[in-house]
Amino acid sequence: MKVSYHKGQTALAAASVMLSVMGSAAFAETPSWCGPNPATLALLDGFGGNSWRLVTTASGQAEAALCPSITDYQYADGQGNTQKAISDIKSFAARGTNAIVVFGDAGPAVLPALKAAHDAGSIVVPYRVDVGGEAGKDYTKFIGSSFVDDGVSWGNWIKGILPEGGNILFLSGPAGNSQGLDELAGMKTVLDDKYVFINPEPFAVTNWDPSLTQQVLSAEIAKNDKIDVIVSDFGPSLVGALPVFAKFGRSIPALATSDGNSLGCFWTDNVAANPDFKLFTVATGNDNVRLAVQWAIAAATGGVMPTDEIFKAPVFEDSVSGSPSAVQCRADLPGSIYLSAVMSGDDQAKAVGN
Amino acid sequence: MTATDDTQRTRPGPMQASPLVLAKGFVTVLISTIVLIGLCYVFAPSSVTQGALSGSLPFAAILAIVGLGQMLVVQQGGFDLSVAGGVSLSVVFATHFPAGDSTYLLPAVLIAYASAVLIGLVNGLLVGFVRLNAIVATIGMNALIYGLVFAVSGGVPRITTPLLAEIAGGETFGIGNAIYFAAAILIIVAFAMKKTVYGRRFEAIGSNPLAATAVGLNVRLHQMMAYVLAQLLFCTAGLLIAGITSQPTAFQGDSLLLPSVAVVVLGGTSLLGGRGFPISTVIAAIFLNQLSQFAFAVGVPYSAQTIIQALALGFGIAIYSIRLPSTAMKIIKLSNREDKDESVLS
Repeated sequence: MKVSYHKGQTALAAASVMLSVMGSAAFAETPSWCGPNPATLALLDGFGGNSWRLVTTASGQAEAALCPSITDYQYADGQGNTQKAISDIKSFAARGTNAIVVFGDAGPAVLPALKAAHDAGSIVVPYRVDVGGEAGKDYTKFIGSSFVDDGVSWGNWIKGILPEGGNILFLSGPAGNSQGLDELAGMKTVLDDKYVFINPEPFAVTNWDPSLTQQVLSAEIAKNDKIDVIVSDFGPSLVGALPVFAKFGRSIPALATSDGNSLGCFWTDNVAANPDFKLFTVATGNDNVRLAVQWAIAAATGGVMPTDEIFKAPVFEDSVSGSPSAVQCRADLPGSIYLSAVMSGDDQAKAVGN
Repeated sequence: MTATDDTQRTRPGPMQASPLVLAKGFVTVLISTIVLIGLCYVFAPSSVTQGALSGSLPFAAILAIVGLGQMLVVQQGGFDLSVAGGVSLSVVFATHFPAGDSTYLLPAVLIAYASAVLIGLVNGLLVGFVRLNAIVATIGMNALIYGLVFAVSGGVPRITTPLLAEIAGGETFGIGNAIYFAAAILIIVAFAMKKTVYGRRFEAIGSNPLAATAVGLNVRLHQMMAYVLAQLLFCTAGLLIAGITSQPTAFQGDSLLLPSVAVVVLGGTSLLGGRGFPISTVIAAIFLNQLSQFAFAVGVPYSAQTIIQALALGFGIAIYSIRLPSTAMKIIKLSNREDKDESVLS
């Protein structure tokens, strides 16, 4: 029931995205990564149940729609269930899908399935989450995201606003997730001992769950009289938690994080009452999937391989310098979209079903 | 548990009249909570400051409400594992239908409660009348509910309406509104169960369904109603979550499944059914919540946080399982026998 509906909805979203993309791309040239050989493509998600994933999925579809050689496009959602994610990969390989792009949420647990699909002759491109293994042997190509770069960007901004050092509270997702560890490594290349991480090593665990984030944050605020900057790799999950500062009679501190429309609007609404509330965001990285799709299609259709092998999330908003962008808020669109993505805000709103 | 125990529990004998026996679950969980709060004052004072409590107690209130719902089902010897789906469904109803427009909040809340009644009825019919195993029936129902959650939301969170945020997340006299909700529900559940005929029948049936059938009580209907009432409470908890977290996910109920059973067990309600301990269940919710706050405040690594919580839970359950006087007697008997053996040998 869950799957069939989701597929139905996805198909609808895909149709609308494809229509809009095709409409605008009718006169555009076929991109170089799109070769002449016809191929089928599947985008397999480990967990598809949040707006970020829906925007990402729609972005992947939009990218695939740019290539007329793709004869069939399929999507499957692993629903956070490792077994289902593995069986999705295997079943698409068994169906003879030419190119499979995989968000391997379960990490190395999906590697045997990826290898099986690769051995069966499919082009297999895992992206964003490190699945271990070796490109060329276990899968075709891994398109990672440089979370270390995100950490470096945050670190540099923190140095700019707090040249004398300060207390940093770093929140990330589930315990031990590689994204959080990479971001921390990136920050540490820039920040010296003057900057103290007041969270438990290596980061405060929030599971990217807004309710747990709220509980963790209120505990940390109570514990630490001085929090100069909060770093979080999922900004929108803080929107529910940041008002906790008001309960303590304190200003929301500076925030270095990833973007989201709800966060931008929250900043706009609250900056006047919170003098210390500065905001810096890197792009949430929905477009990581586009690079992975380009690689998969190039390999499957005989196109030209893209030059980039890793997705670098660009810096998006900076409330201090206003560069590259001031904080953005589209109050008329849902909070759960990402204005940093290539896909327009209105198209994202359609993709997330609003 | 033996048949003797069952008869002792239902019989209004001297054992039950003794206040000490009556209060065993209550006393244990209350003392544990007080000790924990004492430890917090010494080792993690920040976790008991007013700000920290006002941030964390609303979540304890939600857990308490979910725990009370689970308790009703456990009292009938069942489990409601569709708690995750039930809570998540009301979260998405409350956030998706109004889509930020407070005027649609009331219809959304009514729809949420109507679907809760429906889910409870189906659960209750499957378990009470079709006699399916409660775990199997409610897990299946949970999958169905998640289908509905996806159908309504597509898995996407939506920002809550300002009115619901005000009602559930706001404060009155410096205390979170969620706490008032939990207190009101506790009073209603405790009063209805302990002071009304329906409540007394409900407990008697849970305690010994065969005896209850023999005296002509409608066992199946009461069992079914446990699931309906539980879903109503899960729905209420979901509405509160939707208000407290401004952008709740569509899976907000998942993290409540195990704690909902844990607070029932810590509160002293037997998993085999029978008497319920509403007040103890609520105190257990406060205990579990404070325990995680303690772990956060001490700043131990996440792995240690999980271990601390597991140990506390194991300790809590052990208190009920190990009966100290009888265990002590056994040890004494054993050592006496060894003494005899030794004397025979010598």
